Amino acid sequence: MPINKKDNLPDYISKVKIKQRFKVIRNIFRLRSLQSVITLSFTALTILAMLFIGIAFYSTFSENAENNATASTQQIMEQATLNLEYYLNSMMEISDMIEDNMDEFASGNTDKLESMLSLTLEIRDDIVSVAIYSVSGDILLTVPDYEYDRNLIATEQNWFSQAAGNPFEHIFQPPHVQRLFADKRPWVVTLSKEIAINISEMPRSYISVVDMNFNVIEDVCSRVELGRRGYIYVVDKDGHIIYHPQQQLVYAGLKQENIDKALSSETGSYVEDYEGEKRSTVIKDISYAGWKMIGISYVDEIVQNRQKFNQLIFVIMLIGFAVIILASIFISYKISQPIKRLEFQMNRVERGDFNIEPLEAKGEDEVKQLTRAFNLMIAKIRQLMSQIIMEQEAKRKNELKALQAQINPHFLYNTLDSIIWMNENKNHEGVSNMVAALAKLFRISISRGSEIISISDEVEHVNSYLIIQKMRYKNKFEYTIDLPEKLRNYTTLKLILQPIVENSIYHGINKISDKGEIKISIESTENMLIFRVADNGYGIGIEQLKTILTSESISKHSSGVGLKNVNERIKLYYGSEYGIVIESEQEVGTTVFIKVPLVKG
Amino acid sequence: MKLSKTVIIFISILLLIYFVGCSAVNAPGPNEEYNIKVIVKRQTHDFWAVVQMGSEAAGKEFGVNVDYIGPATEEDIDGQIRMVEAAIEDKVDALVLAAIDYKLLVPVAEKAKAAGIPVIIIDSNIDSEKMDSFIGTDNVDAGRILGKAMIDVLGTKNNIAIVSFVKGAASSNEREAGVLSAISSYTEINVLDILYCNSNEEIAKQLTKDTVEKYPDIDAFVCLNAYATVGTARGIIDLGKEGEIDIIGFDSTPEEISYLEKDIIKLLVVQNPFSMGYLGVKYAIDAIKGIRIPENINTKVEIINKENMYLPENQKLVFPFID
Repeated sequence: MPINKKDNLPDYISKVKIKQRFKVIRNIFRLRSLQSVITLSFTALTILAMLFIGIAFYSTFSENAENNATASTQQIMEQATLNLEYYLNSMMEISDMIEDNMDEFASGNTDKLESMLSLTLEIRDDIVSVAIYSVSGDILLTVPDYEYDRNLIATEQNWFSQAAGNPFEHIFQPPHVQRLFADKRPWVVTLSKEIAINISEMPRSYISVVDMNFNVIEDVCSRVELGRRGYIYVVDKDGHIIYHPQQQLVYAGLKQENIDKALSSETGSYVEDYEGEKRSTVIKDISYAGWKMIGISYVDEIVQNRQKFNQLIFVIMLIGFAVIILASIFISYKISQPIKRLEFQMNRVERGDFNIEPLEAKGEDEVKQLTRAFNLMIAKIRQLMSQIIMEQEAKRKNELKALQAQINPHFLYNTLDSIIWMNENKNHEGVSNMVAALAKLFRISISRGSEIISISDEVEHVNSYLIIQKMRYKNKFEYTIDLPEKLRNYTTLKLILQPIVENSIYHGINKISDKGEIKISIESTENMLIFRVADNGYGIGIEQLKTILTSESISKHSSGVGLKNVNERIKLYYGSEYGIVIESEQEVGTTVFIKVPLVKG
Repeated sequence: MKLSKTVIIFISILLLIYFVGCSAVNAPGPNEEYNIKVIVKRQTHDFWAVVQMGSEAAGKEFGVNVDYIGPATEEDIDGQIRMVEAAIEDKVDALVLAAIDYKLLVPVAEKAKAAGIPVIIIDSNIDSEKMDSFIGTDNVDAGRILGKAMIDVLGTKNNIAIVSFVKGAASSNEREAGVLSAISSYTEINVLDILYCNSNEEIAKQLTKDTVEKYPDIDAFVCLNAYATVGTARGIIDLGKEGEIDIIGFDSTPEEISYLEKDIIKLLVVQNPFSMGYLGVKYAIDAIKGIRIPENINTKVEIINKENMYLPENQKLVFPFID
């Protein structure tokens, strides 16, 4: 991230911090993050699917529940109706049996019918009694033959009066207390029938009475369960209750049944409001007796089932939602986490930190691949970087070597010329001095390949050079070297003084007619060693002074090559804060300051 | 991320609709397995068996568990108190009680109330204001009906004796008061004596014989419960005075019915024990649910005589049992 130049640094840092904090918060709510996108879309999709399935399931079920409830009520009642019809039919069979045998009975042979009926009653628990009356109400036969109740006037009883005059009809009476016999008061359903026969061409009528224990009907009806609270009741065609589980309540006026509506309705079902509750009413006809069976079931109970189902669905969905949300958070975390790790690493790299541990390749295949590729890339970058550093290092060393090697060859053969020349003049002392100086010069400049030498060697080196030059220039200049004793053992990059001095001689002193003067002094500050080379030579022009250390275009032999060379070497070796400073005034002289770090040998 | 926001809003709306839909369906709840204890005066007796039928009919109709018990005899006050204690121990949801004694059942009944159990008193009340409801015959009213019916049958010129059951008992006193108020304006009806049989048929029979001996010109006995009625009838039969001395009775045991058919008993005032049992349980459920219930419910009485006893609407009352 480039630093905006308008910002100062503390401002920038605080801005970055705020940004990072904001990023943390944003990460939590970030809707754009991979994790939240996966979580949300996954959750949304699944919940939607669940809701639609749940609602579809629910509506289908609740519709079915009501239909099933009605259907099962119908079925249960069908069974109960069949049972009742069976019993009513069996009563009719007995009645028919009496009718079939009536001729014989009327003609005086009563034993056969009586024994048949006795047998039937013995077999059939549900039949309480059978009786045959004459049409005038005289009792002719009862099975079993208990003592009659004298108080009973048969013709006044409904079962008698309704049968009399209707010879083709079976007359069923609603349940009542039968009092044929003294001290016996059973609850019965009575079937009575007039039997009309001709005896010796004379029409005669009888009334047959079959009593069935009401227990049987009660049993059949009370066993019917329509849900928890539902029940059935039975009415005859006039609306009299044959059976009702709460008959006493109905008689006592504590319970009302909408019998009229049930009677007027066709066989089938309808829903009615009853005391604030919805009841489903199912009506079925019972054959033979003209009765109707009415089934009552409470819609609430169906609803209750539905509610239970609702709650079940609701709980399942709730659990489902929780599971889905957790699962999608987990899954999205699983997917996005390696990517986030990668992102974190990349951020570090982005900030320039290549010294990171390679990431462990985990997660999905794609992410693994990505991680591996990233690791590989980082490793490659690191390798390339160290390669570059090494290459730079090598290049620098090469440059150094190259720069050091730039001792002017003219100097060597001029010196050798001077030696030859002195030899010819038999100046043997001069020859030996010069050769010694030249030897010293080369010994130090080679200095076993080391780039760093002691100050004393460096000074010795420049001294040797000056000796040679002074002899060659025939004392055209004088020089002084001031090396404080305490600085002798400090070190410096080698061969930095000689090029400066060379420059002074060739471009300074050589251009003046006066006697030249070169003063070399070495001093130290707290952490710096400063060589000072001052001459009283021609000086350097202001324009040249500006470019002397940087210009590339200076030819090898022009002034400043040595200066520039030394300056670059120092900077390459010690860093940019070191190097050469030049002060010069034309016609007055030049002073060159060489700064190197203060390093003890 | 506009899409996911829309999706979230959509889901929220769906959920909202769903919740609202659910709570709307949440109408009346079921009577989740309430346990209701019905403690009567006597385990096995025609009258109480009909109470049981009524309570069980209500139990089935409203979907609750009804447990019906009672002591072996109607004198076992301690036994009934123990039953109430046990019901409190069992933490029943409601108690339906026919108290043997007007005073002695008060502490235990109030203890049940204090334990948070609704108590519905049926048939015979107790001397406490704290009970949720009393369901039973209005005894003063029943006595008055009995008195008026007697006048209708026997006329306004009679010597009568009243056979009550327990001297000082609330129901006893109330029925007496009802009878007396009905005949109070008829100066030619003489109440010769008020007898107490302690709900014992043998004592009633003996009292009848003694009274007939003491007042030979007695026209009728007015009996205020089943024991008194049966005992008096037996006494009259023993004396051979059937048809001479009439009996006006209470309740409808099979023995009383047979006397009614034989004209020994002129009429019976019949209570409605089925309604007591049924309403007792019905209102107990309401009390559990915290629905306000009436403090006093009068289960009506019917006058049964030889002529109307076989009418379809009375048969169930007079002959409550199928067998």
